[in-house]
Amino acid sequence: MLSNSWNNVLDWFRDRSERSKLVRSFNESARNSFVGGIAPTLLKTKISKGERAYKHQFSNWLNTGYRIQAFTGRQLSKDELMHIGKVILNDETLVRKLVVLGWDTLEIHGDEGTYGCRWQLKDYMPLPKFNQE
Amino acid sequence: MNDTLIQDSLKLAEKVVAKTVENNDSSNFWMWVAIGEFAVIIGFVLAPRFKIKPTAKQLFKEESIAKNVDFNNILNSSFHSNELYDILKVKCHPDRFPTDPMLNEIAEKLFQEITKSKTNVKRLQELKIEAQQNLNINFEKL
Repeated sequence: MLSNSWNNVLDWFRDRSERSKLVRSFNESARNSFVGGIAPTLLKTKISKGERAYKHQFSNWLNTGYRIQAFTGRQLSKDELMHIGKVILNDETLVRKLVVLGWDTLEIHGDEGTYGCRWQLKDYMPLPKFNQE
Repeated sequence: MNDTLIQDSLKLAEKVVAKTVENNDSSNFWMWVAIGEFAVIIGFVLAPRFKIKPTAKQLFKEESIAKNVDFNNILNSSFHSNELYDILKVKCHPDRFPTDPMLNEIAEKLFQEITKSKTNVKRLQELKIEAQQNLNINFEKL
């Protein structure tokens, strides 16, 4: 029991580190793409509150949203926001990683206010039923 | 004379007792060190036997975290996959090769793959090269 709790503590710290690593890697690539002229707008990822209705077996208690927000550059249309979302959801590796690290909501937001789109991540990755084992 | 003898022998006895107690303390200390070392060694030997096996959920998590994500491709695809897809879907459509059944079959497979990878620029670029080689398509002139 003691070693189980200890492992849980270690897992929690490792998950935190992996989550911030994922966010940092995206932001770095987005910055490089914007500077290199590949992306017309600067995208930035941050961890948001998320939607509790979308929770799954890996979901965290708090902050379960993976939000990508458009910053400087030109304003993105709704179609472009939808397309960015589709690109991310079609990347199986990224979706799987997001799910196991406790995120359950993908949000793509425009530059202003809360204008954007939101997806339920578990719809894009069939999760095995571990709890029934 | 007798008194001094008794006093001397008493002092000597005290010294002997003190020396013996001192020796016992040090031997006790080293005995406990040895017991501690033995316990540590036993712990190391037995630890793998009592190690908790990771559950299927933990294994699934480990496996998912170990994979690398190509963010550069994701960002490139977010803004440029549509243009490339539009070009490829027109140029590699099977209806453009109605006379040659072999080319038609290649185009059919390629077209299916293009549709499947419409949001992945890296894969679309690979398919573009494949189309140039297998279907002799010139992408320079539209």
